[in-house]
Amino acid sequence: MNKIKTFVSKLLKDYFNDQDKKELIEILTTSLEEKVDDLVQSGTPLEEAIDKSINEFGDVHDVLEAYPELNKKQEVIKKRKHQFLFSLLGYLIVSGIAIYINFTFIQFFADILWFILILIALLFWPISMLFRYLSVKK
Amino acid sequence: MINSDVIRGHIETIILKLLMEKDMYGYELVNVIKERTNNLFLIKEATLYAVLQRLEKKELISSYLGEKTFGGKRRYYQVSPLGRAYFKEMLSEWDMLRKIMFNMLGESNEQD
Repeated sequence: MNKIKTFVSKLLKDYFNDQDKKELIEILTTSLEEKVDDLVQSGTPLEEAIDKSINEFGDVHDVLEAYPELNKKQEVIKKRKHQFLFSLLGYLIVSGIAIYINFTFIQFFADILWFILILIALLFWPISMLFRYLSVKK
Repeated sequence: MINSDVIRGHIETIILKLLMEKDMYGYELVNVIKERTNNLFLIKEATLYAVLQRLEKKELISSYLGEKTFGGKRRYYQVSPLGRAYFKEMLSEWDMLRKIMFNMLGESNEQD
């Protein structure tokens, strides 16, 4: 039955605050175990019963159906996460361009490594996106 | 199978109604809902149990350990007086919704 507890914990991993999560894990685990017991009583082998119950159970989105107010929040969290990842990618690309230009035309720039300024200043973008993402994820 | 966005706000009401008829255990509720709605609402167990947990936390239902057919115990759920009152409220909201939709959309088209 540890398989069940693992499945349930993994299911809820990123989504709930600790108090809710603990209660949810408990009720979901107990209910799954009861179903497995029923299947075993009617003749199904244990492993098969566990797998069948887990497969029919649903996923974290089904659990979230019970929390209508959280659905909106999940969308915001997703959006912010994408904004952060995009900012990281953008940072790398622009940094790459700056480094390339700096070194390709290094004589023109009198050997000054100005790309470092870009690298430091541009950090503002991914850092602020990360901050926004983490503050919503709470 | 109905769109989950549409049914989401009504799941608690449905469960309370069933439990008011008789005490049931989780998996039993899944089957009853499936049969009563003619497979139009196939509630996922994950959803059902999460709703049960919320209802219990709001003290609208309570649970106890009852007998299983083959022996052993199983968790049954029952409605509390607070749950009955809450259900009454939800029922009148549903009545309001039904009247609004009927007035706006007319009778349902069984011919579709």
